[in-house]
Amino acid sequence: MQTLKRKTFWKILQSAIAPIILIGGSVSAPCLLASDDLSTPLPTEDLAQPAVEAANERGKFLYVHQCASCHGTNGEGVADKYDETLYGNRSLDELIKIIHETMPEEDPDSVVDEDARAVAEYLYNAFYTAEARAKNAPPRIELVRLTNSQYANTVTDLFRTFLGHTPIDDSRGLVGRYYKSRSPRDKDKVLTRTDPQVSFQFGEGSPAEGIENEEFAMRWEGSVIAEETGVYEFCVKTENGMRLWINGRDNALIDAYVASGGEVAEHRQTIHLLGGRAYSLDLECFKYKDKTASVELRWTPPGGVEEVIPERNLTPVRARESFVVTTQFPPDDGSFGYERGTSFSKSWDSATTEAAIEVADYVVRDLNRLAGTRSSDENRNEKITKFLNRFVELAFRRPLTPELVQRYITSQIDQSDDIETAVKRTVLLTLKSPRFLYLEIPDEQTDDYDVASRLSYGLWDSMPDETLLKAASQGKLRSREQIRKQAERMIADERAREKMRGFFHFLLPFDEADHLSKDLDTYPGFTDDLIADLKTSLEMFIADVVWSEKSDFRELLLSNEMYFTPRMAQFYEVELDPEGGEYQRIAFEPEQRAGVVTHPFLLAALAYHQSSSPIHRGVFVTRRILSRSLKPPPMAIEFMDGSFDPSLTMREKVTELTKSKTCMTCHSTINPLGFSLEHFDAVGRFRTTDKDRPVDATSDFVDADGTKVHLTGARDVAEYAVEDPLAQEGFVEQLFNHSIKQPVRAYGADSLDQLVTDFQNNQYNIQQLLIEINTLAAAHGVDDVEREKP
Amino acid sequence: MMNFQTRREFLRRTGVSAAMLPFVWNLPSLAGETGSKRKQRLIVVFTPNGTVVDNFWPKTYDENFETTPILKPLEEYRDQMLVLKGVCNKVRGDGDSHMRGMSCVLPGKELFPGNIQGGSDTPAGWASGISIDQEIKNYLQSNPETATRFGSLEFGVCVSDRADPWTRMCYAGPNQPVAPIDDPQQMFNKLYGSMRDRETLQSILDDLTSDLKVVREMVSAEDRQRLEEHTDLVRDMERDLKSAAEQKLAVDPPALEEGVPNDNDHMPEITKMQTELLVSAFANDSARLAHFQFTKSVGNAKMKWLGIEEGHHSLSHDPDLNAESQEKLTKINVWFAEQIHYLLKRLEETPEPGGEGSLLDNTMVVWTNELGKGNSHTLKNIPWVLIGNAPGFRMGRAVRLDDVPHNRLLLSFAHSFGHQIETFGNPSLAADGPLDLQS
Repeated sequence: MQTLKRKTFWKILQSAIAPIILIGGSVSAPCLLASDDLSTPLPTEDLAQPAVEAANERGKFLYVHQCASCHGTNGEGVADKYDETLYGNRSLDELIKIIHETMPEEDPDSVVDEDARAVAEYLYNAFYTAEARAKNAPPRIELVRLTNSQYANTVTDLFRTFLGHTPIDDSRGLVGRYYKSRSPRDKDKVLTRTDPQVSFQFGEGSPAEGIENEEFAMRWEGSVIAEETGVYEFCVKTENGMRLWINGRDNALIDAYVASGGEVAEHRQTIHLLGGRAYSLDLECFKYKDKTASVELRWTPPGGVEEVIPERNLTPVRARESFVVTTQFPPDDGSFGYERGTSFSKSWDSATTEAAIEVADYVVRDLNRLAGTRSSDENRNEKITKFLNRFVELAFRRPLTPELVQRYITSQIDQSDDIETAVKRTVLLTLKSPRFLYLEIPDEQTDDYDVASRLSYGLWDSMPDETLLKAASQGKLRSREQIRKQAERMIADERAREKMRGFFHFLLPFDEADHLSKDLDTYPGFTDDLIADLKTSLEMFIADVVWSEKSDFRELLLSNEMYFTPRMAQFYEVELDPEGGEYQRIAFEPEQRAGVVTHPFLLAALAYHQSSSPIHRGVFVTRRILSRSLKPPPMAIEFMDGSFDPSLTMREKVTELTKSKTCMTCHSTINPLGFSLEHFDAVGRFRTTDKDRPVDATSDFVDADGTKVHLTGARDVAEYAVEDPLAQEGFVEQLFNHSIKQPVRAYGADSLDQLVTDFQNNQYNIQQLLIEINTLAAAHGVDDVEREKP
Repeated sequence: MMNFQTRREFLRRTGVSAAMLPFVWNLPSLAGETGSKRKQRLIVVFTPNGTVVDNFWPKTYDENFETTPILKPLEEYRDQMLVLKGVCNKVRGDGDSHMRGMSCVLPGKELFPGNIQGGSDTPAGWASGISIDQEIKNYLQSNPETATRFGSLEFGVCVSDRADPWTRMCYAGPNQPVAPIDDPQQMFNKLYGSMRDRETLQSILDDLTSDLKVVREMVSAEDRQRLEEHTDLVRDMERDLKSAAEQKLAVDPPALEEGVPNDNDHMPEITKMQTELLVSAFANDSARLAHFQFTKSVGNAKMKWLGIEEGHHSLSHDPDLNAESQEKLTKINVWFAEQIHYLLKRLEETPEPGGEGSLLDNTMVVWTNELGKGNSHTLKNIPWVLIGNAPGFRMGRAVRLDDVPHNRLLLSFAHSFGHQIETFGNPSLAADGPLDLQS
């Protein structure tokens, strides 16, 4: 079957005598058509000589007749003959050599030279490598390790059990306290208030009435909310003395208590933070006989621009101290279209060692606090042993058998001279253990603890919390109803929001916007600050929709509202309420804006430096919104703006460029969708003309089944998409992939259909969909759940 | 085998590129190559609050000087000692005497204006220049023959958590104070942390491998391949650890006593641990410069182990006529001298790896203070005691100089290392060039 398909494909290729051209362009993505899927390889294999096909036939023939009796039809081995699998990671050349010299065992001379090569090539591509097996195997739930973000979240949440947690509410800003002396003593406190951010120029004056200008002090307290995971640079700009603490008060992140030199200085320091979490923040500042006073609390978030930390990222609630692992891991495998923990490389293994050392150092340093003891405590060793038991069971996300207690704790204590060494050994061993590193060890019986972990990783990318573990210990994760109840509880957690945010970062072209910039002569004012506003505006809109009560998927595509800052309003010529705050929700004429697809951040990301790009936009809508698959371009063409008659509109240029029959196999889909967004220029501004001619955004989109849809603009695309079953199914599947990180079909042939039907019946409620996805995945293989079924 | 006169020649003739240097210069066979220059090291020891004038300064200034009560513990090294009287810290400007005494002594330059108010004078900030130890460190680090892993190490004993001009002596540049490390465990980790981690990792490998086997049996045949890959990675790590363990140090890291609280009452134990770490770091050639700072300027150590309940700084303010306080201050300074004696002893006992003699043969210890005298806060006649061996310094004598700015002594230290700078710190205070302490 496989062979037949390949042959047909080969014939098609042979008949299409066309030049090979490369599609590229001046946009950040080098290859236009493949721009949102650069990992898809070009089908080079299929362009090879037909002789290869013949050799493959020969290889298969030889394998079936000479090898399969011992090795099995698919290399699975044969009991009593050769029961090891014929899977591995030797190179093809090694295999050829081995077969040539040693195989088949009873007559090594019968398969040599070209035959040995043919057999080796056949088995190598059919089942020997992991890649080959993945390609040929039906979808199944694979053994996976924690992804990088799951690893980091798990470590932080593991310590949360010992360090405590204070949830963050909706209040924003920081508590500011003002003192009339240079040391912030209570008796000198003059004023307490909430400051939305810290940005003050006192000049030669004083911050408030009742405070002299010669000496005073201020303290700001609360937490900073980090959205993304990564390195944050904090900057305090002042000519006075200051100290800044982030995440606990043990060590100041910046200690510039000594003002020196009299100039305004920018004190900078970086810290690695985990996204979706709050970290305590304390800033102290004082003036003593300096001429002037001022203070600004600024930051540069990962991939962002330096700014005064905005009010929405500050809260007067004081977060408990947390532990964040800072070791860098190599990127996770994203070749499935979503990140999952399937690659076990040496650099990954080294990172797990380095991270284990980092965690062990922290535990030893903070041991008394974590174990609830002190150095003079006569029961210190018992308390530490108890802590180790708890630590290991949390790390393994399940109670420990006596064997595990012996191996991971007792034996480590027995072999150490002192308790600190034992702690270090236990922590290292635990964090290097497959029981910690693997998401789930799939043995025969799915138990309550497996369910607890599936829920927490599915919804939070982190370990189960105490409520889940308690439910598991009480056997209360058996029925679908119990599982769903937990999922409903869990989506209210900040970690669920963070994971959902990650999903939309993946679904929409946030990555493409990483180095977004436009020609400033053509688009003056399209600065990094504006781009940062645009990004936040889109994120706020998505969060609004997803976390509203209706949580309606259709709203994402159909809404005519979006958030605008004063900077955006000026650039896009929109009126804002001068008193309305930093981000204001503005309603547009419905034909001008329709949901995320028409958000200027996205439109600008999917455009050239100087002009729109219907192809980028069309590919994005085809793949990510309508969930239609596109083949990689059979030929590649560079879009060179200069090679066209300058009076042509972008639509005319693209039409000209892609007019060949070969191009049109895909561009008949891509172009109409892209053209329907031609009302938006390279920065996402609404326009009615291109090259002084009216924009033509009408086109006929022909779907795979032949249905013809007349589109007159962006809104038509959005309206088509929300009604389209394939688009809905695509959204469901992508959310499943992102949440569960396993193929949905591994959970039953009808699982996807069932989820889509539920989604439709629930008025396209995204939160409900997430709950259903996680209920389905968590309940998979649970005995009682199976019995529940009619 | 070919013979090369110096390592530089070896490098030149073998065509080793600069990128290779970090690996090459650590080869034991090269480290002791005859013909390469002798190693030279400097340790600056700081103790606070001035000295007790009558019990510190010798009666005569010549080769036959007699050790006074405070110098008595160092009697054994009298022949390698140089006591300098008349060297004065003449740096003026913002900040009180303690601040300038501390933060200007090694930079020889004024403090920036700032917001830190001392007991008198105007508020001030950090020093406006690099300190001499960091200057010499940069000089040594810029030459592959003298460069070491850290260049310099800054040790402290009960320094306090505050970062201000009273706690910082070393400056990497203007406004760049270098914090001393006063936690021996932290210093140990800096020097030997990765080695100890390797040992701990090695100790858990058997347990890890056997549990991987257990897990391997639990999973399906399809997933087993992944376990195999994982097990291979653990084997790789085992191999890496083994080969790393084969790279030997010249001396083993010191065994530190566990669980010693880092507080005032444990100063004696902490001092000892820091000393052992310093000596081992020198023996392993991790650095050529070291700073050893007891408490800080205005340090108020309560030396209960000497039967003294009052703080050092509080006592130092008492008038000269208060005999009881003078006696206690003398006892405190004698204790400091004993700690320096222990350091010298350990340097003398430790052979120079790959060379001849002991570490002390190639090391000079400089004992200094932020003040001349505690109750007057004078910056005149800072007690400078040099012990050990360094080119350009004739030891075994006490020398009286005539009110010379200490910048000139700082220049002498640099020149001793072959770093022929013409001025250091405030140029007008260094105008007369280095002190001649040779003749």
